[in-house]
Amino acid sequence: MSRPVPSSDEHAPRAITAAAEPGALDAEAFAALFRECGADVHGYAISLLGDRSAAEDVTALAFERLYRSRTRLDHRRGTPRAWLFAIARNAALDELRRRRRQPRYELEDELSADRDHGEALEDVERRATVRDALAGLPLREREVVLLKFHGQLSNSELARALQISESNAGTRLHRALTRLREHCLQIDRQEVA
Amino acid sequence: MRIIPFPGRDDVGPDENWLSELETALSGTGEGARADSWRELRDDVRALAPPMAPEFERELEERIGERGARSASKQSHRRLGWLRPPPRLGAAASIAAIGVVIAAVVIAGPWRAGTGPIEAPLHQPAASSNAGRAESSNPGVSAPKGAVHAAKGASAESVAPVFSGAASNAPASSGVAAPPGRVQQLAASITLAATPNDVQETADRVSRLAVSDGGFVQSSHVQVQQTGTSEANLDLSLPSAKLSAALASLGQLAPVRAESQSLQDITNTYDAARQRLADATAERQALLRALAKATTEGQIDSLHERISQNRGAIAQARSSLQAVSQHASTAEVEVTVLGDAHTASEGLTLHRGLHDAGRVLVMALVVLLIAAAILLPLALLIVALVTARRMWRTYQRERVLDTR
Repeated sequence: MSRPVPSSDEHAPRAITAAAEPGALDAEAFAALFRECGADVHGYAISLLGDRSAAEDVTALAFERLYRSRTRLDHRRGTPRAWLFAIARNAALDELRRRRRQPRYELEDELSADRDHGEALEDVERRATVRDALAGLPLREREVVLLKFHGQLSNSELARALQISESNAGTRLHRALTRLREHCLQIDRQEVA
Repeated sequence: MRIIPFPGRDDVGPDENWLSELETALSGTGEGARADSWRELRDDVRALAPPMAPEFERELEERIGERGARSASKQSHRRLGWLRPPPRLGAAASIAAIGVVIAAVVIAGPWRAGTGPIEAPLHQPAASSNAGRAESSNPGVSAPKGAVHAAKGASAESVAPVFSGAASNAPASSGVAAPPGRVQQLAASITLAATPNDVQETADRVSRLAVSDGGFVQSSHVQVQQTGTSEANLDLSLPSAKLSAALASLGQLAPVRAESQSLQDITNTYDAARQRLADATAERQALLRALAKATTEGQIDSLHERISQNRGAIAQARSSLQAVSQHASTAEVEVTVLGDAHTASEGLTLHRGLHDAGRVLVMALVVLLIAAAILLPLALLIVALVTARRMWRTYQRERVLDTR
């Protein structure tokens, strides 16, 4: 049943190198952070918003704001990556608030379909299940899952990004993943039936 | 289809093991089927997101590169000099400037005129109080303490006021120009500081100075104590013309703690006294003429009696005029010699400097307190507004998640 971990470099967990660097974020470190986290921020944004142009806006805005606040960066309060995702989350929620409409998963469907070529049928089916299950989650829970997996944040960093306590963040993450599991099982059962 | 084996427990709160298992699995250090499932789930979720468009990625990277270059340029500018101070220094400079302005307003404010602790000119307030004291003890114009006569012109009979030269003294001593034809009285008080042992000596020197200036000591009271405050009070009567010079000489005897001068116009009093003398003199002339023409014994006796009465009136009028003239020509000066150790120490340069420094520090503290009283509520208000705005934005963002 379980599948081997994909060996794709694109989605492999990345070392948060910027976290270990003390002091303010200089130009080189900022460029490195973009190379390291740019795709993840964009993935988080497009998964949450379902709109490519809006996701690009949010990604650009997040890096812009991080750049402006780089002198206030406090490494004791979290890594630059966590800081970046907290900013991206705020920008994405502001974008949602402005647009006042549902995320468009149709676009994602199309893009996902493009990338399904050459993959094993089982992988394609599993991801379709996960996508449907994710789409069935309330936005608040979907956002936690996306932030956790795209941001690759620790629980404490997740709590800081969500501006809630660590235990509260753990509870929210647990509830979201449990519901995601339930949705996946439900979809699987429906397909089996 | 198959069931994806997600690890997890029932829908209850997570425990430490659950969370640490998740963390371990996602960090890549966890092993086993459950860890693989976590990683698989994460990779599936991440794989759902389409990648960045290459054009956008390239454009954004270029912009970031430009920003980095600009930032490096700014840093090199800063390295070149200190033309652009850091924002925090600017804020501190602004606060300091506001503090200085407040200090200047407090120190130089009009409400502090004449009451300054250090430089306060004691002439005006003390002069007015002194004048008030003189008037309260001697109401009306019957008790002038000194006078300056400004070119009164003709004098009555033999009583000639000796005020010549006093007119030029009036403006210098009182700061008020005496108009021509006015008779004015002057008074002054001065407080000198001395050590307790020097009070008697200083009082003696004051007496000698009064005599040398053509005046005299009307009264004196010297109290010397071994412990505590010693004090001498002297009332001097000095020629009005020499008042300024006398005060200057007194100021050289010992450090001056306070000094005041007062001026009062007694022209009406003087004119009235002079008129009474003129009237009495004219009446005498008339009586003498009538006596020369008298023929009967009764008329002669009556006129003699009236001339006798008139003589008394003339004497009284002359006396009054002389008294006013006396007041006009002399100035009464109250001299107080304080023999306090602290008071005396103020005469020393070092001690006076320390004293002044202390007062400056107190003033600075007051200014800081006033500035804090103004800035603190303002800062609290700003903090409250910023916090409220932040909370409102957070609430709005979170609400978006609930409405979908």
